[in-house]
Amino acid sequence: MKRFALLGFFVVLAVASIVLAQSPAQATLRLPSGDRSVSYVQQSGQTFFAANDVIPALGGTITPDSTGYKVTINNATAAFGPDSRFGVVRDELIEMPVPPLSIDGKPYVPWQFFQGLLAKAANLDVQFDAATHVLLVRPQQQNIVGVQVSIANVQGISKIVFTLTGPAEYSIIKDPGGYVVRFKTPLRAPFPEQTYDDPYVARVQFTGSDVRIQLTGTDIAGDAYQLDTPPRIVIDLHKVAAPAPGEQRPIIGIKPTDQPGIRTIVLDPGHGGKDVGAIGPNGLMEKDATMSLCRKLAASLSAKLGARVVLTRNEDAVVSLDQRTAIANQYKADLFLSVHMNAAVAPRPKGSETYFLSLEASDELAKKAAEVENASHAANPSSDLNLILWDLAQQDYVRESSRFAQAIQEEMNSATGVQNRGVKQAPFKVLVGATMPAALVEVAFITNPEEEAKIQSDEFQSQMVDALTRAVQRYKTDYETRIGIAQPPAAPAPAQVAPPATTTAAPAPAPARSGT
Amino acid sequence: MRRAVVVILALALVTCREKKPLTADLNRENKVAVRPVRLFYETPDMLLAPEIRNVALPESPNSALPVVVRELIKGPGKKETPRLFPADTIVRAAYLLPDGTVIVDLGGPTITTGWGTGSHQELMAVYSVVETATSNFADARRVRFLVNGGPAETLAGHISLARSLPPMPSLVDRRVAP
Repeated sequence: MKRFALLGFFVVLAVASIVLAQSPAQATLRLPSGDRSVSYVQQSGQTFFAANDVIPALGGTITPDSTGYKVTINNATAAFGPDSRFGVVRDELIEMPVPPLSIDGKPYVPWQFFQGLLAKAANLDVQFDAATHVLLVRPQQQNIVGVQVSIANVQGISKIVFTLTGPAEYSIIKDPGGYVVRFKTPLRAPFPEQTYDDPYVARVQFTGSDVRIQLTGTDIAGDAYQLDTPPRIVIDLHKVAAPAPGEQRPIIGIKPTDQPGIRTIVLDPGHGGKDVGAIGPNGLMEKDATMSLCRKLAASLSAKLGARVVLTRNEDAVVSLDQRTAIANQYKADLFLSVHMNAAVAPRPKGSETYFLSLEASDELAKKAAEVENASHAANPSSDLNLILWDLAQQDYVRESSRFAQAIQEEMNSATGVQNRGVKQAPFKVLVGATMPAALVEVAFITNPEEEAKIQSDEFQSQMVDALTRAVQRYKTDYETRIGIAQPPAAPAPAQVAPPATTTAAPAPAPARSGT
Repeated sequence: MRRAVVVILALALVTCREKKPLTADLNRENKVAVRPVRLFYETPDMLLAPEIRNVALPESPNSALPVVVRELIKGPGKKETPRLFPADTIVRAAYLLPDGTVIVDLGGPTITTGWGTGSHQELMAVYSVVETATSNFADARRVRFLVNGGPAETLAGHISLARSLPPMPSLVDRRVAP
């Protein structure tokens, strides 16, 4: 009988715990304007707040519809659904640990939803204190500087880039085993410590306002400089003769000079390492074809244009898409060209095509957004427009990129007889962050057996290298003529690079190349 | 004492039995009906055009969306039309948020381990989903892709998935898809 009583007790306990877990309790929503009482529940280790309590208290509105809830706050629109752990605000994702709950027909969202929402829509920080049951909302501490770290080794130089969320004072100190970047403001570190598989950088460690860079040897020296928009500290590390015992190796501050014209060109051989890209029917890998072509093109551009040419990779190695663009930005390149081989399911497609970045200018939705922007920009610069427009570095250079892409496509067509597939726009990841005119060329279809064979032939490669060299030369002359540092050739008449029909942009005056 | 135990167990049993019984006709409950859907695939001119297919769909957009996207991923009806996604692609989830964003969560061995294809096929694949979702659901305005439940840079190394993608009319063959 005792056994039955015990069983019954546990059954009642289990039922009670389920009921109690679903019963909302009251927590404090602490705003700069004062405290409010809001409902919350805890379930499976997560804390959920009643959106119908919190959103109005923040001055926003929440509206249900058949697919979820729409939230408007501070002129920003956000949304979340009942079964989704992702919400959106201004076209950015808000990640939650678990999907929202529905209790008595009311939405309860994990507190992290408010953290993501208010950070993006109202510059507010949100923290939840589980001990006191306080959901704290306060202005973001502007004096904390966020730091992102990227490291890339290109042509024997390891380039460390610290990208800052705002300007900050700092000094660089030589330290046994490496360098320390000492900031005068608190940092928001991306990680406490990270090791790198880099020839010169072993580890980066954040301690308070110090960033310690541990090098792999003592025969490594660095050049440091600062870039703006966004603020960045760049340290170039390279091999030197081993120092004598006790010798200090100072960092030499250098800043690249801004010289007008097309002087530095970054070539990006697509794919690499385990990312082989597309594979032809006879086994040719895209990563090998792009590497081979880019090496020849680099030599040609250096010889014929006297340009400084940098490859984003010069070996069979994985380089992330962000790193490729970062390398172009860090070298303050004047042109960026990513080289690829195309692929299709069917073996028939052939030809070359050139892309520049799509900013959705051809999209009907974007056109409407542009109309809204034109009508309301002056009155309300923080309108809902961010839902549509991409805050991309490349957007300042799209007109120039279209001219560059057009020159490439025309020269390739005239030189090789490859089928003209035209200049196109698409949201290519590798072009997104480039702060210079940038294009991506698909030289030929590696999946077409005939083109696969051509890609491997010296004759075809030579044709493509010549065509691409002429395209760069043509764009360089056109650009430098427009900004007034070069005279157009007297005769024959200069080939002006016309903007392609795919853009809505009018012929533009030469843009001011903002510093990177 | 024994009576008390019996009462407690009886109460527990009654509580369990009060659960709403599963409906025997889910189709009727979800208002499932065969409806024509526009599934976008590649044309011989290397643009996108719809194939009209009759599919049994629930009435609610959020229930219908995954059905439509899965139907698209199955591949085209005609053998001569190229399949855009790897055959092992799975649709983990697809749903519409109230601001017009469609979330499509893809997975499967090829997409997870590295899809070695070119820009053209990736562009066609990505926008086949965008055009299909926005063409069949009036409130859908753009598509945000996830891979295996989280944000992803690209599907195959080219087309950025960092933002939601609205339709791109220049990729659609207007002669076939007015």
